[in-house]
Amino acid sequence: MLHPLSTAAVALSLMMPAQVEARPLVLAIGGEPDGGFDPIMGWGHYGNPLFQSTLLRYDAELNLVGDLATDWSLSEDRLVWRVTLRDDAMFSDGTPLTAEDVAFTFNAASEAGGLADLTILKEARALDDTTVELELTEPRITFVSRLATLGIVPAETYGDGYARQPVGSGPFRLIEWREGEQLVVEPNPHWHGGEIAFERVSFIFGSEEAGQALARTGAADLVAVPPSMADAAPSGMEVLHVDTVDNRGLAFPMLHATGETTAAGTPIGNDVTADRAIRVAINQALDRDALVALALNGHGRPAMGPADGLPWDNPEAAIPGNDPAAAMATLDEAGWTDSDGDGIREKDGKPAAFQVLYPAGDSTRQALALGASEQLREIGIDARPTGSSWDEIGALMHSEVVVLGWGAHDPSEIYYLHHGDYAGIDYYNTGHYSNPEVDARLEAAEAANGVEESLAEWQAAAWDGETGFGPKGDATWAWMVNLEHSYWVSDCLDVGPLQVHPHGHGFPITHDLPSWRWTCE
Amino acid sequence: MRAWLPALLAGRLVRLAWLLPLAAVGLFVLISLAPIDPVQAYVGGRTSQIGPEQRDAIAAAWGLDRPAAERFASWLGQLVRGDLGQSITFNAPVMQVIAARLPASMALVGRAFALSFVLGTLLGLTAGATRGCWPDRVIRTVAVVLAASPGFWVAILLVAVFAVGLGWLPACCATPPGQLASEVTLADRWRHMVLPVATLSVVGVAPLVLHTRQSLIAFLDSPAARHLFAHGATPVRLAFGPGLRHAAGVALTLHLASAGELFGGSVLAEAVFAWPGLGQATVRAATGADAPLLMGIGLATLLFVFAGNLLADIAARLADPRLRRVS
Repeated sequence: MLHPLSTAAVALSLMMPAQVEARPLVLAIGGEPDGGFDPIMGWGHYGNPLFQSTLLRYDAELNLVGDLATDWSLSEDRLVWRVTLRDDAMFSDGTPLTAEDVAFTFNAASEAGGLADLTILKEARALDDTTVELELTEPRITFVSRLATLGIVPAETYGDGYARQPVGSGPFRLIEWREGEQLVVEPNPHWHGGEIAFERVSFIFGSEEAGQALARTGAADLVAVPPSMADAAPSGMEVLHVDTVDNRGLAFPMLHATGETTAAGTPIGNDVTADRAIRVAINQALDRDALVALALNGHGRPAMGPADGLPWDNPEAAIPGNDPAAAMATLDEAGWTDSDGDGIREKDGKPAAFQVLYPAGDSTRQALALGASEQLREIGIDARPTGSSWDEIGALMHSEVVVLGWGAHDPSEIYYLHHGDYAGIDYYNTGHYSNPEVDARLEAAEAANGVEESLAEWQAAAWDGETGFGPKGDATWAWMVNLEHSYWVSDCLDVGPLQVHPHGHGFPITHDLPSWRWTCE
Repeated sequence: MRAWLPALLAGRLVRLAWLLPLAAVGLFVLISLAPIDPVQAYVGGRTSQIGPEQRDAIAAAWGLDRPAAERFASWLGQLVRGDLGQSITFNAPVMQVIAARLPASMALVGRAFALSFVLGTLLGLTAGATRGCWPDRVIRTVAVVLAASPGFWVAILLVAVFAVGLGWLPACCATPPGQLASEVTLADRWRHMVLPVATLSVVGVAPLVLHTRQSLIAFLDSPAARHLFAHGATPVRLAFGPGLRHAAGVALTLHLASAGELFGGSVLAEAVFAWPGLGQATVRAATGADAPLLMGIGLATLLFVFAGNLLADIAARLADPRLRRVS
């Protein structure tokens, strides 16, 4: 190794900058799947599965369009999806994709115990080469999300090593994956979706700082950056802010404290937030624009519900807020008055006070908790911001207010957050909310004849004119802000129209990667 | 001549025989007590797409629904057959994960180890020889500052100066972005190694400088050195002549024994430089409560540190005849 010539060459090369040559597209957006690229274990549910294609996909407006599927329909009893496949789809090894592969993928994923939830699937059957039937155990319209997220693998060659050597019918094929460092992909010549403008795309993993340093040295073309860094884009790059439903809000305990506890022995219920007037007044009082300015440096938008702007969102359910007078009127009317003059209202001798828990390591949630607390003091509510560990929050979230965040391209989240069956399960319905009419709406949405038909039911669950989980109804949450996801993008890169992003910064931006274009020579 | 060696090795093997099981049990207890739910960590941000039934299926698939004692027993059973189990985070055999990542870490740690040893000893000797004069004061100040600087901070500083500011060296990764391993030249590999190795060396160099300096000063104050002084030997000549042997033994012992710290430092350096080594895998395993992988890495690190200490003892005995007497 210590040959004099090679030593001299090394010494020389250390002084010279790297050679300039045609540069591939380089992205530093995180999102490395530690477990590899196996859709059956859950790869590809965010953004773009890269190597595989799905039956359907969401377009920029989140409408479902066909990818592998040319036609899809739900049976009368809403139990069987019949999907017709395009006949020109091929895997990157040149073998054709058939209905057998689709049936195999769905059946395997439902049994794998991975990160693809297909517990609702009874059986997938191939009827002929291009027709497949997916039978469910009960009607559930949100199963359509699986059609849009589960990448199809080849039944013939799928096996143990698949996750690290994926073969699929997607836009790219894997050239090299150096785990923890870099993923290099090239266009799949057999892809059915058209031309891709890049001969090679690399994904750099590692820390956020590494990505920023790469951007500053001009070695990366698109980098995910935290909001605090967003405005400091290096020369040759511009800032891209993407709207999201990556939301943050206050989740209220809905029950009175009766001494009841969870299976783990932690308390349930809070006598202050169990009063609807308190929850509605908080929704009326919060100045969400001020919170966006305070906690997000202005990089975000006010949040009115769990899915602002998505097709299943009901804007009618919202209370715009920043109206302390109305909030105080609500509290007065409900009997919450400041009788002892300490600035905090009481009712029946009980002060309007509760903790607002946030994970101590999350500065955004901390700023939101502090800001909300400050605003609520104005109307006589003592909301005490309390930094905790997730461990403590897990124990206290059924009896205290917590700053939580959600946001998905899948309305089943609405179901999990508000249906009585999910009361106290994981982080879903932390407040133990249960309203039979809302439950019925949610069930009706899942049992709908089609995606279009389900939308009205999801919206009615939030607010149907009389009741709902939204602020105008039971006000189970006070949603505060939707984050913005920030990226530095090369001036020479056109990423086209973008979706509203879900919870999770980084990889979702690759959703339309195949249609990105260079704009400079 | 080497009569002490078999006794030393036998003693250490006995120690390893009880240390390994003890460490395994200790590690497992710690991991089981950690307030991280492995299923929740595995699901991560996908909570809204994974229903409770699927969570149960995940727990069952990874055997996480069984009691801790039972999981440990089955892990032990596998271990006896030479199988370290399956990593949850990486969805691959633990052996494969470690084998894939160990070489990158060793390349980094090994070079940093050699560099910091040479640098630390030389600077320490120089400082000791010029005691009280300006080279000594400069070296000591630098050493104290380095000893007080966290590794990741040094890394960010080096990147800011040499990669972003001056543009001399790459900011991250083991190879240039966008290139395949087969296209990367040897020169590129070396260029990418400079900053990570420098960062990691800095972590090990400061204690070495201060200890070498101190042991050299002790020698220079000894009657033997005073005698040589009286005969006209200069401090610099004493330092790099007879003093070197006095100081090097101590330095080598110290440096080999602190191999574990270097390994720990690589966890941070690897994260900053996107270096595809075992350090990154350790972080993922810990935050994911990935018991099989953590146990595998823990035991591998134990063997690594153990070997470092053993080598330190052997080296010390080779360098200093007084230690060879069997007690």
